Order: sequence, then structure tokens, then C-alpha cells
Amino acid sequence: MTAAREIEETAAVWLIRRDEADWSPGDEFEFQSWLDESYAHMSAFWRLETAWRGADRIAALGSYAASVASKRRFQASRQRWMSLAASFVIVALSLPLMLRGSSVDDPVRPVSQFRTQLGGHKQVSFADGSTIELNTQTIIRSNVTLRHRDIWLDKGEAFFSVKHLAIPFVVHAGSRLITVLGTKFSVRRDGNNVRVVVTDGRVRVSDADTSHPSPTATIDKGDILEEQGESTLLLQNAGSKVEQSLAWRDGMLEFDRTPLVEVANEFNRYNQRKLVIAGDAGSIRIGGSFKVSNVDAFARLLHDAYGLRIERTSTETKIFS
Amino acid sequence: MVDDVALRDWFCNQVLPLESALTAFIRRNWREQNDAVDIRQEIYERALIGARAALPYHTSGYLYAIARNHLANLARRAKIVSIDLVADIDTELPVGAFEPEPELIARDELRRTMVGLQRLPPRCREVVLLRKVEGLSTREVAERMGVGIDTVEKQLTLGIRALTDFMLGGSGKIQRQSRLSFRQKGKFL
Repeated sequence: MTAAREIEETAAVWLIRRDEADWSPGDEFEFQSWLDESYAHMSAFWRLETAWRGADRIAALGSYAASVASKRRFQASRQRWMSLAASFVIVALSLPLMLRGSSVDDPVRPVSQFRTQLGGHKQVSFADGSTIELNTQTIIRSNVTLRHRDIWLDKGEAFFSVKHLAIPFVVHAGSRLITVLGTKFSVRRDGNNVRVVVTDGRVRVSDADTSHPSPTATIDKGDILEEQGESTLLLQNAGSKVEQSLAWRDGMLEFDRTPLVEVANEFNRYNQRKLVIAGDAGSIRIGGSFKVSNVDAFARLLHDAYGLRIERTSTETKIFS
Repeated sequence: MVDDVALRDWFCNQVLPLESALTAFIRRNWREQNDAVDIRQEIYERALIGARAALPYHTSGYLYAIARNHLANLARRAKIVSIDLVADIDTELPVGAFEPEPELIARDELRRTMVGLQRLPPRCREVVLLRKVEGLSTREVAERMGVGIDTVEKQLTLGIRALTDFMLGGSGKIQRQSRLSFRQKGKFL
């Protein structure tokens, strides 16, 4: 053992013991004597103490988010779709109706909250290197510490890009727990319906509700898990469905033979002016990709391509055949 | 004369941020890589001795000068070191100073700590977390993990040293077995 290492080890032991409850004035005297013996002792001790106290500050912090950036829509390129793997399974989970407040929603320690307004799109970066992209009307709470990384998805939809560390990362969506083993996935919550789309790595989806737990599933890159009511739908290799699910990240909505009434609901998540579909028009199947905020252009398209009638009021655009 | 508090503050706030650059400087200019930690500590020691009289105006230039002189002295005294090395130090080192590592600013401390923790061996990490996050005493940690207090102290020591090394810009790997170098044959002053 070289001299420096020996001194460092001794300094570390002093540091550890000084923190103990049974540290006495006699100990303090001995320590000060050792410290005063040489400047090498001082530099070694102060060096360790600084870093160790630094870790203290951080351990005491509840949640810590490094930066929040608002993303403008239409900013990303379409290349992103190409880079998504071809096989995606979309898994959406719907939660059974919760009759009582869930205690898993109440974190013990103070947390940070992030939210987006109607039509909002925001990215939150965390100190561990993970990022979360929030879609429209989304509320998340975070508690990122040295021990656990917890996120509560209270409402809406978010895409997670998680830095792989030995510290577990868990997303709470109601009573569902999405434990991250891999890296990139999105979670969407509508009340107690939950949908999870995995684009990289794998996640485990379980249920913290002890009285009425849904089955645990481990899903991989390309999987989509969807639960609505009591039924669970697991789509593997859904291919384009995954890209469709995540098109919002590029400011787009993508549909493939989707009933108009569903399309309208999607648009309405992002826009003040709501689309209202009357009569049979709701069952018309729509395909294509559309800019999220351009409701008017979409309505015009319905008129031009499908011959539907459009009626605009101050708050709505009514569509009927 | 500078008092202990001022000296310590100067050391922690002005000198330690330069550790990364200083270490790189030592490694570039001394063949035996295993000696780097010892040499660094000797440089810190000299820096403190000098600063006790009066704190330097420009810490990085001051530290650089000390480092340069110390390495030159070591090279001259080491019988085994080749002539080349002495010549290198005397003629090729540019006059200058150290730059603090840009990453090591407060904002990134949490990320750096998390990554540093990640790099610890599992048992060591567990001990550090029990101590830091759950605030357990050494004995409580020992009980929780079912090991002896000595083991806990050893693991905690390793964790503190590794984390410190990493937080100051190093690799976070602590050498536990040192290879014999010529320096151990006699004490260098």
C-alpha cells in the first residue's frame, strides 16, 4: 500500500466514525491531532469530506429535474419513424375501476410535478440522464433519488427514454406499475385504461392493487399492451401501429382505417375547437397522417374527399354526412 | 497567516475542481501510472503549505507551477528514470495553468453521483446507499446486511474513495493492490 492510499484509507475511516452517534470529545481530539500532523492528512481528509458531503446534499433532495424544455410541434423529422423498429406490439392496460383511493398514488417524499396544457408538448430532463416527453394535457409527478426513480402518470400520455442504471425506474399509472428494464417506451392513461408501447428494451407491467390485480406481463421492443375494462390486448409485431401510436412526438396524428369518431376524439385531445361527428359519418374509416393542430385542414379534407358537410360554430366544427 | 477554515474553503472550492486536469498532467508526465495518486497528494500537500502563508491569487497557475516543479524534482532524484523524461519536463512543458473540468459544475452533481454509484461493486453500493439514503449507522448496516462491522467499514471506505475519485473527474476505480514502484524504496521529499 503506498503512502497516499494509506492516508486516504485512514481519512475515510475518520470520516465514517465521525458521523457515528457515539463520537466523543476524546475521539474528536484524536482526530484533530491526526489532521494536524501533516498537510497530506488535511488534503486527503478534506478531499474525501467534500465529495461525501456533496453526496449528502443530493441524498436529501427529493425530486430533481435538470431542465424542462417546451417542444415546438412539427419540429422533428420523419426520419424518426424510420428508426423505430419494425415490430412493435402495443400493449394497453386498462385498469379496473378503482372504488377507493389508491395509496400507491401518494408518495411519501416531496415530488416535482410537470404538466402540459391542451395541445402542449414538453420534454423534461432528469439528472440521471433520463428524459420524459409529455403529450397534450398530461400531468406527471416525479421523485428521482439515489435509491429509486419513481414517476406517477396522473393523466395523459408520455414517452420515456430511461437511462439504464442500477437504480430502478418505475412508472405508476393508477395501480399499474411499469417497471423499466430497458429503455424507451410510452404510457398513455385515460382514466383507468392504460396503454404501454415499447420501442426499445423491455418493461414489466404489474398491478399494485392487491384486491383485484391484473396479470403481470413482460413486454419487449415492439409490443403494445392495452387494457380496456377487464380485457387485456397484447399486440406483438404490430409494426405500423407503434409508429402511429408515437406520431404525436413529431406533431402528427396517424390513422389506418380508423373510424372517424375515434379520429375526432384524438384531435380533440389537442385542440380547443372540438370536432363533433353527427350521424353515420362517425363510422367512416380514415387513413393517413395529419398535423395535430390543423383541425381546419382536416375538416376541409373530409369535405373534399368524402363529401361530408361542415358547420363551424365558435367552439365546434360539426361534421355530418 | 491563513486560518484553517479559509484554507479548507480555498482547497475545496479552488483546488479540487482542478483535480481532473492535474491528474491528467501527472499521468502525461510520469511514466509509472500507479504513482499518480501519491504524486498528486504530494502536490496537494505542497500547495497547502504554501497557501498557509497567503492564499494565491490564481490558484490554477499556482498549482501548475507546484506540479511542474515537483515532477521535475522527482525525475531528477529517481535514478532509474531515463534521461529523456527529465529533458521532457524541462523543455517541453508549456507554461500555463489548469482548466477546471467543465462537467463538474453543481448542476450535474446528481447525475455524476448516480453514475458514480452505478460503478461501485454491488455490495459496496448497497452499503453506501444504506448509509447515505437511509442514514443507518455502521452497526445498523452490519445488522441489515448480516456482515461484520469491519466489513462495513471496509466497504464504506472503498465506496467513499471511489465515489470521491469519480466525483472529481476520475474513473472511480480504486486500486487496491499497488504494484511496487521505485518510489517505495525510499521516501521522496
